Amino acid sequence: MEKGFIILFGLTMLYLAATSRIISHIRLLIAQGVLLFLICCTNFAHTEILNFAFLTVETLIVKSILIPLFLCKVQKKTGSNRDYAPNVPHFYSLVIASIILLGGFLVSNYWMSSVKMISPIHFGVSVATIVISLWLITIKHHIISNVICFITMENGIFLLSLSVAKEMPMLVNMGVLLDVFIAVYILGLFVNVINKEFKDLEVSHLSELKDYE
Amino acid sequence: MINTILLFPILAFIMMFLVRRKCFDKLMLNIYALGHFIATIFLVFKANAQNTFIPYFAVDNTNKIFLLVLSLVFLMTVIFNNGYVKHLPFDEKRIRRYIFMTMIFVLSMSATVLSTDLGIAWIFIEATTLSSAYLIYFNRTKNAIEAAWKYVFICSIGIALAFVGLILLNLAAGETNSMNYAVLYQNATQFDPFWLKLAFVFMVFGFGVKMGLAPGHFWLPDAHSESPSPISALLSATLLNSAFLVIVRVFKIMNIAGVDTYARLILTVMGFASLFITAVFVYHIKNYKRMLAYSSIENMGILAIGTALGGAAYYAVILHLIGHSLAKASFFLTSGNILELFESKRTKSVKGLIKADPKTGWLWVVSFLAICAFPTSVLFISEFLMIKTMLNQSHYILCILFVLLLTIILFGIGKVVINMAFGEESKDKEELVKENKNKLCCCMYTPQVIMLIIVFVLGIYIPPFLNTLINNTLAGF
Repeated sequence: MEKGFIILFGLTMLYLAATSRIISHIRLLIAQGVLLFLICCTNFAHTEILNFAFLTVETLIVKSILIPLFLCKVQKKTGSNRDYAPNVPHFYSLVIASIILLGGFLVSNYWMSSVKMISPIHFGVSVATIVISLWLITIKHHIISNVICFITMENGIFLLSLSVAKEMPMLVNMGVLLDVFIAVYILGLFVNVINKEFKDLEVSHLSELKDYE
Repeated sequence: MINTILLFPILAFIMMFLVRRKCFDKLMLNIYALGHFIATIFLVFKANAQNTFIPYFAVDNTNKIFLLVLSLVFLMTVIFNNGYVKHLPFDEKRIRRYIFMTMIFVLSMSATVLSTDLGIAWIFIEATTLSSAYLIYFNRTKNAIEAAWKYVFICSIGIALAFVGLILLNLAAGETNSMNYAVLYQNATQFDPFWLKLAFVFMVFGFGVKMGLAPGHFWLPDAHSESPSPISALLSATLLNSAFLVIVRVFKIMNIAGVDTYARLILTVMGFASLFITAVFVYHIKNYKRMLAYSSIENMGILAIGTALGGAAYYAVILHLIGHSLAKASFFLTSGNILELFESKRTKSVKGLIKADPKTGWLWVVSFLAICAFPTSVLFISEFLMIKTMLNQSHYILCILFVLLLTIILFGIGKVVINMAFGEESKDKEELVKENKNKLCCCMYTPQVIMLIIVFVLGIYIPPFLNTLINNTLAGF
């Protein structure tokens, strides 16, 4: 069951690579949050009750409700519907994301046989999610899209940290801090401030500071 | 004493919230800087001063020098800050926030330096981003927003990747379920080398972003140039060191585990990449604060190269760290004076600085001499030792490359500094400079003088207590 959820989580990244509508990206974040919650639930037997409660709050409330809700508000306020003209067309994005995901599976299956603490699929999907997100950040033009890709990268890291949750619950809790960090700063302050100052949320506006004139 | 450093800002916040006066907030910042320095002196020189009820924080041989440098630079910056905030054209509320965030920023850096646990250090590195982002954004101009956005976004990615490194380190550690440095050092020989190497790549890149090492340096010129000058000094002279300390701690794990050759290779590549990028960009630089930021990238590169070399270069690394922090803080604070006088960051707008304000002009020139390793600057000793180590280890090509890149950088910075300092003051700026000169008070010169005296004296005489401290720090590599 857990593996099924992890594979679904990996597939959401393909959807992210193939679409340009920001509202679809936000819905995808909700789906990822719920999937992460379900993955936590499958490990319930091995998790302390307090830690489980903490993870539930993090995945269901922060990742699936609060952050998407806030992004929705920003999206409506700024009237941003699409990420127009990313550097790479969506079809090619989908192909490249699929190759990265496949690469994640293959590499992890090859390397992970010696490590008992983590399953290859867990590791492969997490690493593929991180790499796809980083790559999408470089090709998207819209600030909200960049933030969404950053959050999916964080979700990938969170998935990776869940694999060591039994041994190091502190690591997972630290991963949660990353979310709070995003909520407080990147979303709460800067997106609003940038929107106020620059009228729209294109990253091209943020290129005034240069070394050469 | 650690309690004083870590808890004072919280108590100060409560009092500042109740009193709500700018002068009171300034007083609290001064008390914190002085208290921080006194507590540091006790922690560094008195063996039994380490009574703390907060777990995870301690002073050891490795972090003593880092704490001492942090504390001294903070004290000097606060002295400068007293004059700096007097003429800020902002409302009281904004200045009060600035003062509070400065305290939180220093608290986060101190906690990073003092932490005995890699996880805690990671959390506080994250906290430094939170607090300093506000300070970079303080002027609220379009450029400041851009700089702060880039800073937060790039550093967040760096921090996230460093976190992946922590998870991989946990995989490498197997049964060792702790992030405590002592425990990690104790068990490092049993770690899985493959996972450890992978973890190191992520951590050195992640924390390297914060340290300003190429290729994660992009935030640094923007953030340093757009933040208020005292904050630029703190960012360059203390924040980068805090991130470097975490890298040193991780490097030691690699050293004990016997995979240090790999770590040294990565640090060498990142170090030389930093020097190369500085050499390319500093050559035609148009903004003097950006120039200083690039110089910080260069010096962080030198620290990485020194760490990679090992042997006598470790001693050079610590000397370089002390010298760079003090000289660069002095350079940035002086750039604050220039900005106050000429109201421009463009190098072309500043001419005849020595004639316009001799004190600022000479501080600018002497800060340059200190940072470019002109004898008797302590940086001369450190760079000389590094070159000697390279030759002893038969790294002739690296040595030539190192000297060549440093020469290009020296020429690039020197050209700008000399053009700004000497020559005739432009007529259209004369009135403006005369008017603005009244804004500069003695506390905006004294800290630079003190720091530069230390830098130049250390080049000819290293007191025995400091020598012992440096030698003890070498065990941390």
